[in-house]
Amino acid sequence: MSQRDPFFKLGEQVREFFSGDAAANPFEDLALEMFALQFHHNAPYRRYCEAVGRTPATVTDWRQVPAVPASGFKEFDFSCIPASRRSAVFCSSGTTRATASRHHHCAESLALYEASVRAGFERHFRPPFDCVLILTPPPSQAPHSSLVHMFETIGRAFSRRQAVWAGRMGPGGVWEVDARLAGQQLETAAAAGGAVLVLGTALTHLDLITALEAQGMHFKLPPGSLALETGGYKGRTRNPSKTEFYRQLSDCLGIPQTSIVGEYGMCELSSQAYDVRPAVPAFAPATEAGIGERRFTFPPWGRARIVSPETGEEVGDGRTGLVRVYDLANVYSVMAVQTEDLAVRRGDGFELLGRAAGAERRGCSLLAA
Amino acid sequence: MKLPDYFLADLPAEATLTSSIISEACLTLKRNRERFLAGRSTQSLIQSLSQVGASWLDPDYPLRKLALEQGPAATGFSRATLATGLDSFFRQLTPQSFQALLEQDLGHARRLDEVVALDTEQQGGRAAMALGPSFLVHIAAGNLPNPTLMSMVLGLLVRSAQFVKCASGTSFLPRLFAHSIHQAEPKLGACLEVAEWKGGNRDLEQVLFEEADCVTATGSDETLADVRQRLPARTRFLGYGHRLSFAYVSSEVLGGGRGASVAASAAADVAAWDQQGCLSPHVIYVEQGGRMAPEQFADLLARELAARESVEPRGELSASAAAAIASRRSIYELRAAHSPDTRLWCSPGSTAWTVVYEADPRFQISCLNRFIYVKPVTSLAAALESADSVRTRVSTVGVAVPDARTKETFATLARWGVPRVCPLGQMQNPPLTWRHDGRPALGELVTWADYENGVAENLSI
Repeated sequence: MSQRDPFFKLGEQVREFFSGDAAANPFEDLALEMFALQFHHNAPYRRYCEAVGRTPATVTDWRQVPAVPASGFKEFDFSCIPASRRSAVFCSSGTTRATASRHHHCAESLALYEASVRAGFERHFRPPFDCVLILTPPPSQAPHSSLVHMFETIGRAFSRRQAVWAGRMGPGGVWEVDARLAGQQLETAAAAGGAVLVLGTALTHLDLITALEAQGMHFKLPPGSLALETGGYKGRTRNPSKTEFYRQLSDCLGIPQTSIVGEYGMCELSSQAYDVRPAVPAFAPATEAGIGERRFTFPPWGRARIVSPETGEEVGDGRTGLVRVYDLANVYSVMAVQTEDLAVRRGDGFELLGRAAGAERRGCSLLAA
Repeated sequence: MKLPDYFLADLPAEATLTSSIISEACLTLKRNRERFLAGRSTQSLIQSLSQVGASWLDPDYPLRKLALEQGPAATGFSRATLATGLDSFFRQLTPQSFQALLEQDLGHARRLDEVVALDTEQQGGRAAMALGPSFLVHIAAGNLPNPTLMSMVLGLLVRSAQFVKCASGTSFLPRLFAHSIHQAEPKLGACLEVAEWKGGNRDLEQVLFEEADCVTATGSDETLADVRQRLPARTRFLGYGHRLSFAYVSSEVLGGGRGASVAASAAADVAAWDQQGCLSPHVIYVEQGGRMAPEQFADLLARELAARESVEPRGELSASAAAAIASRRSIYELRAAHSPDTRLWCSPGSTAWTVVYEADPRFQISCLNRFIYVKPVTSLAAALESADSVRTRVSTVGVAVPDARTKETFATLARWGVPRVCPLGQMQNPPLTWRHDGRPALGELVTWADYENGVAENLSI
C-alpha cells in the first residue's frame, strides 16, 4: 500500500497516538476524517449513515458519527478492504458460523491492531514479564479469535521467554485448559522468581483454579506478576460472583487482587479497555473487596460513551447506559461501534454491568431465552 | 393513605419472614375459614365480590385512587395503563358473569352449596356437589395483577382459605385488592393472606406446601417444575406456564377506510399492560392481496401507538429493558437501510413504542414493552406455518376477519392448538368464563362428591 493511500496515511496518524504524541492530530479531527473515509469506502456503512441522515456533509462533531450495532457485523461486511485483499477475519466467539460477527483484516489493518494492543497494554502494565502463560488455545487452533490474536501479540512482545499456550480446542469448540501443563509452568515460574503474566478468559481461569484446587495446588507468584481476565462466563450454570472469582484467583496464584485485571474488547474493535488506570498505580486496592471501584478505560485513541437507550444521548456520571465505542484503530472497518453492553458511566470510564439482550421479565409472556 | 397491617405484605420491607410466621399464618387462615367462609352461600359471596368489583370501578374509591397514585412507582405501569387494565378486570365481577361461570364450569350455580342433579344426572339416579380446597396456595409470578386477582376471586368463590405468595416487588396490587375485600367484609379478608418474597426460599415455601391442599403457580416451565417436585404427593397442583399470543388481520377488513380502526384495536392490544401479558401479541400477521398493503397497516399501527402513547403512556423501563429495545431497533434500522423488506417505526427520543415490518413471515418473539412485529402472509394457513416454532405455547389469537370467515378461522386456529380466539382489541380482556390455557379455571379448583342412590326423586334440584 502506497504512502499516498488515505488509509495508510490515517493509520500513520493514529500510530502517533500509540506513542503518546497526540497533539498534532487531535482525536476529534482524526475521527471526522476517518468517518469521511469510511463513509466513502464502506458501502454498507454508507447506506446506514444515509438512512439515519448523518453523512460527512452534515456531521460536524465526532459524537454525531453514526455507530453501527456490533451485531450488524453478523449480517454485513463493514469493511473498507476489498474482498481480494482480506487476509484474516476475526469472528465473535472465535467461530465462523453464520451467526457470528465478522471483522475483516488485511496486513496493514492487522499491523495497526497489533500496535494498538501493544501500546494499550504498555500504558497500564510494566512489561516485559519473565514468562507469559496463556490459557486459551493457540492461534493455530483458533485462527478467527481476536482474543487469541491479542494474547499472542502480548505474549510475543512482552515475554522474555517464549509464551506458553496451556489451552486447547476441546470437543464442540469448547476451550479447555491443560491444568497439568499450566500448573508446571506456574511452579517453575514461581521458583524462578521473575514476574509472570497469566492471560485467559474468566472461564479458562475458573477451570484452571478448579483443577489446581482439586489437586491442592497453590502458588506464590513473584512480585509484579499479573493475571488478565476477560469476558463473562455465560453458559455455565454455577458461577461464583466476580468478587468471589477474584478472591479464588488471588488465592490460587498468590497474587493480590489488585494484580488481577479485567479486559474489555470484542472482535469488532481493534483497541481494548482495561479496568485499571495508568495514573493510579493500578495496584492500590480501592475497596476491601479490591474490585468494587474498578472502571474500564480505553487508551486515548479509543473513547467510550455511555448512551441512554431511551434517547441515544450520553448519560450523566453514575447513570446506566449502553457502551458505544469510538476506536481510531479501526481504520479499515468502522470507527464507531454500538455495543449491547450495559455500563454505569464513571467519569471518562465505565463500570461494566453486562449484556443487555436478556431484559428482565415483568409479566407472564414468553420471552426469548 | 396508610393501610393497616392486615397482611404480611403490609409489613415494612425490613421485616423478616420466618417459617414460624408462615406456619402461624396458615393456622389462622384455616381457622378463619372454618369460622367465616366454609358456611357461606355462593350467592352471598357473589354479592360481596360484585360489590368489591363495583367499588374498584368508582373513580373516588380510595383504594383505586391509591393504586393509581402509587401504582406507577410500584409496578412500572403508567397510571392510565393501570386504570385501563384494572377496569377491564373489575368490570367482569358481576352477578351475571359469576352465574355464567358457575354454570359453565360446574353445570349449576348451586353446585358449591348443596348436592345438585342436572336432568341428565337425575335420569341416571345421580347427583353431585363441588368442593373447593380448604387451603389454597398461589405462587404468583410477575407483576401483571390480573391472573393473581382472578385466582383470589375464584379461591373465595370456592370457599378456600388462601395464601398468595407474590414474587418480590409484585405484591402491590394483590395487596390492595386484599385490603378492598377486608374493607368490604373483614371476615372474608381474614381468610386471605398476601406476602412477598423472592422465589426459591425453601424454608418459607416448605411450610406452605406442607399445609396446602392445592397449589396454583404461574411462571416459567422451570419454576413450575421446581414447585411441583417440592409438593407432597397428596397436594393438587395447577400450573400455568408462560405463553404468548399473536394476531391475524384478513385483507377484507382493511378496505373501505376501515384500516385505521383495525389498527386502533391492534394498538389497544399492544399497549394493554405494556404488552407484558401472555395474552399480548408479539406479531400481527396481515393478509396480503387486499386494498391495503400490510406495510401500510404497519404505518397506521405506528400512528395509533403514537396516539395512544399521548393518552396512555408506557411505563418507565429499567435500563436493561430499554437497552433490549434500543439494541433490537438498531439492527432493524440497519436492515431497513439495505432492503425494503424491513421497515421500522419508532417513538422519537424514547423507546415508548416500536413497529417492525418484516417481509420474512417467520414468527419473532418480541422484546415486549410495546414492540410489535407486522408480517405479511398470503393466508391464515401461511401464518400458522410461520408460527410453527411457537405452536404449543400460544395462548390467544386476536383476529380481525369478516363475519363470513369467523367460524372457519376459529376452527382452523382451534385445530392448530390455539385455546382462545377473540376479536382484535380484546386480547387482554378475557371474560370471567375464560378457560385459562384451555382449562376451566374454576372447574380445575374443585373436587367432586358424587351421590348415587338410584332414586331420582329423592334428590334436590
